[in-house]
Amino acid sequence: MADFTQTLMTAAAIGSLYALIALGYTMVYGILKFINFAHSDIVVLGAWSSYTVADQVLPRLGYDSRTIPPLWIGAVILPLIMLFCGFVGYVIERLAYRPLRRAPRLNVLITAIGVSLFLQNLGQLDFMFGASPEKMPALLPSWELASFSFGTGEATRKVVISLVDTMIFATSGTLMLVLEYLVFRTKLGTAMRAVSYNTDTAALMGIPVDRVISFTFVLGSSLAAAAGFLYVMKYPGINQPAHTVWVLLGLKAFVAAVIGGIGNVRGAVLGGFVIAFVEQFGAFYISSNYRDVYVFALLIGILLVKPTGLLGSPLREKV
Amino acid sequence: MSVSHPMPAASPIAATPFRPTGPLMGVLPLAIGIVVAVLLHVILPGFVGPYYSRIVIDIGIAIILAVSLNIVNGMTGQFSIGHAGFMTVGGYTAGLITYYGSYFIWGTLGKHGVFLGTGEWLFAASCIVGGLVAAGAGYIVGLPSLRLRGDYLAIVTLGFGEILRVVLQQTGKVLDDGAAIRAAGWSQWLPPPVGGAIGFDGIPKYTNLFWVYTFVTITVVVAYRLKHSSLGRAMISVREDEIAAQAMGVNIARQKVLAFVMAAFFAGVAGGLFAHERGVIISPKDAGFQRSFDYVIMTVLGGRGSISGVTLAAIILTALPELLRDFEQYRLIVFALLLIVMMIVRPQGLFGIHEIWHFWRRRSR
Amino acid sequence: MSATALLHVQDIGIAFGGLKAVQHFSLRLPAGGLYGLIGPNGAGKTTVFNLLTGVYNPDSGSMRLAATDLMGRKPHEITASGIARTFQNIRLFPNLTVLDNVRLAGQLRSRVGLFGTLARTAEYQHQEDDLTRKALDLLSIFEMQDRADELADSLSYGHQRRLEILRALATDPRVLLLDEPAAGLNPQEKLALAKSIRAIRDRFQVAVLLIEHDMGLVMDICERITVLDHGVTICEGPPKHVQNDPKVIAAYLGGGG
Repeated sequence: MADFTQTLMTAAAIGSLYALIALGYTMVYGILKFINFAHSDIVVLGAWSSYTVADQVLPRLGYDSRTIPPLWIGAVILPLIMLFCGFVGYVIERLAYRPLRRAPRLNVLITAIGVSLFLQNLGQLDFMFGASPEKMPALLPSWELASFSFGTGEATRKVVISLVDTMIFATSGTLMLVLEYLVFRTKLGTAMRAVSYNTDTAALMGIPVDRVISFTFVLGSSLAAAAGFLYVMKYPGINQPAHTVWVLLGLKAFVAAVIGGIGNVRGAVLGGFVIAFVEQFGAFYISSNYRDVYVFALLIGILLVKPTGLLGSPLREKV
Repeated sequence: MSVSHPMPAASPIAATPFRPTGPLMGVLPLAIGIVVAVLLHVILPGFVGPYYSRIVIDIGIAIILAVSLNIVNGMTGQFSIGHAGFMTVGGYTAGLITYYGSYFIWGTLGKHGVFLGTGEWLFAASCIVGGLVAAGAGYIVGLPSLRLRGDYLAIVTLGFGEILRVVLQQTGKVLDDGAAIRAAGWSQWLPPPVGGAIGFDGIPKYTNLFWVYTFVTITVVVAYRLKHSSLGRAMISVREDEIAAQAMGVNIARQKVLAFVMAAFFAGVAGGLFAHERGVIISPKDAGFQRSFDYVIMTVLGGRGSISGVTLAAIILTALPELLRDFEQYRLIVFALLLIVMMIVRPQGLFGIHEIWHFWRRRSR
Repeated sequence: MSATALLHVQDIGIAFGGLKAVQHFSLRLPAGGLYGLIGPNGAGKTTVFNLLTGVYNPDSGSMRLAATDLMGRKPHEITASGIARTFQNIRLFPNLTVLDNVRLAGQLRSRVGLFGTLARTAEYQHQEDDLTRKALDLLSIFEMQDRADELADSLSYGHQRRLEILRALATDPRVLLLDEPAAGLNPQEKLALAKSIRAIRDRFQVAVLLIEHDMGLVMDICERITVLDHGVTICEGPPKHVQNDPKVIAAYLGGGG
């Protein structure tokens, strides 16, 4: 019971990270119909710029990362990183993807792979983040917000609710609510959905398509940055930018988007949690060596049964 | 549109270019290729030394991989980014055969026989078996392509490579002496002991210029003949327009799976050559996406569908980084930029779907 | 006539979600017949073609070509059994040559497998030569033999339309479905097209089903016409009968648009 509860809570925290990243994939796919392979590299950028701020910038400003009030982190550092990555996302779209607006989708996909390779290997250069792993300084105290005990005597097992997990869950939850509001309750969100539904018609209706697409990239990239930030809070050992871990993280988030129904914002969140649960419970109850295998097995299974994902709507090619 | 136009008495077959026929012509290109392979093997190392000979071997392996990937990505218009996965399947299979096979046949590990001796024939056979096993994997990975298009398929192939990497990491360590091999029970052979995360060390190093360029010849001849045949036209029609292809009676499911199986076969053979190459330890990370991307870049730059273009790209993109060793960390940055700029400036690749000599002919016209 | 129909379609229909795109469509096309299918935009004409060629599978009804049951068949199987089509928006293979666009049909009845192809056996060479000869013959009938080596993409619009028809004929069909072949042609070209559709029917011994917006053309060459509106057959009969049917006039002038 204790193990089950603990696994459940880890899965919830990780699931919200997957969901945050998956949102970026699904929004871009919904509008431009290609997998933005470089999206996971924005997560990396978010993670590494968090490290740079905590390890280089803060000490130079005279702050000790351990004594900085947690409110600061949420109110200043996180928004700064999101803003920065959002800007990078804008630049990428402007330079690499916009010239291909009318090109076949395969070409855009290849470009996305190119952008991803470029960012990875640029990040590995010495004047950027370097090619070796680093340790993220602890910004949050290692508080246990609550702990429960199950069983008695020798068999007592403790379940801990940590500050980090709670913060991940709360922050990403807040961001997702903001996004939900943006997409379904604002004029801009309506424009995004219109462009996603039919770009040409949206343009004829006077929607500034290019600006909407730019905005989508900014939005997706800043969510990815937040995910990168939260990720290094939970796992302080940061791998170098071109490490497989990052690609797998991005890949799983994309799988989450596909499982939820690509192009569907709520589906991406659902998919993120589904993936995390399958992965965490599989890792705990079957074998942790094959955690990546479960996720892809689930993907292939779902694609074969319901190719449009859990919440996706069927598509037909016009003949 | 005068259909009532009378049927011409003599068919204008003379309009097709001269093409030699007969059973001899079927094997002539292969024979030429093998003679070239022998000459390379005998002459080249004496001229350029072992270091450059190895680069030429690397180039050959890259050609096999890029040209075979081109059958799926270029001719059939699918998008596989898991080609290194098939290569690794073939490499591990072939290594398993020559490493443990040597012990069961000759009672000792290591290399056996001289040039074209018994050991080398075991090696050549192991490469082909590796190719067949990879083809089986290609069949399984190709099946989802019947239901998935474009980028979904890309994700499945990418996932295949990554799953393979994880699974290979879980294998046991290589049994490195006769006593251990004899003592190994069934449970130790499943999964086979191929070294886990550190890789399959100890595979006898049979790979040489002769075998590499023999297989290069076979790959290029097969790809070329495929492209210029009814079967190849059916594959290309799938790339051009699936719905029109079906309307012309093309079984698009069959063409896609066939493309996957053929590409995987040659990737598996290349994996066998790679695993037996001097200075190489094949390891799970070879199955990962990074290596797959190298071959994707070659097919994209060379021209999707152009066999000669892709071959040229494989030569340049393999040789250049070796010759510019000092700039290793910039290699992928430059490749990536090349890819991005190429998609904007010349998305069809250097040669598009044409062969290099078509450009010569056009100029001389 | 119904007993000897070559293409025998009874009550087929399909719905997309809640939209009933085509309902209870029936057709009896005799060998060598030249029938028309008309209706306002969005009436479901192309959907009927897609049902007949297996792009969509009908939800209900039955379809037979002579003795072959077509229900639930894949598009390539239906082509193999003898139905060929053209597309409203031209769908050639742009990066293949004109000759190869036509020769593609050859793989349909190929007797040579993968090994024979790669080994370039004598049988393969023979079959390939046959194929080339047949394709060039077909091209010369349509006066396109001198364009055999050009890419399909580089042809003029009129030639592309022509190539689509002759490419469909290369599959040796018994029924030819033409989806708006006159779209984008000038009056003179339309006149020539009308002539050649009849000629194609006679020379290749195919039955033709024609979707067309140009009423003059349809009324001129079709023996019988089916009129669709909102997926429902509102009239069927010889041109004279259709022309005077008040329901047809209402569909075209009224809400049909």
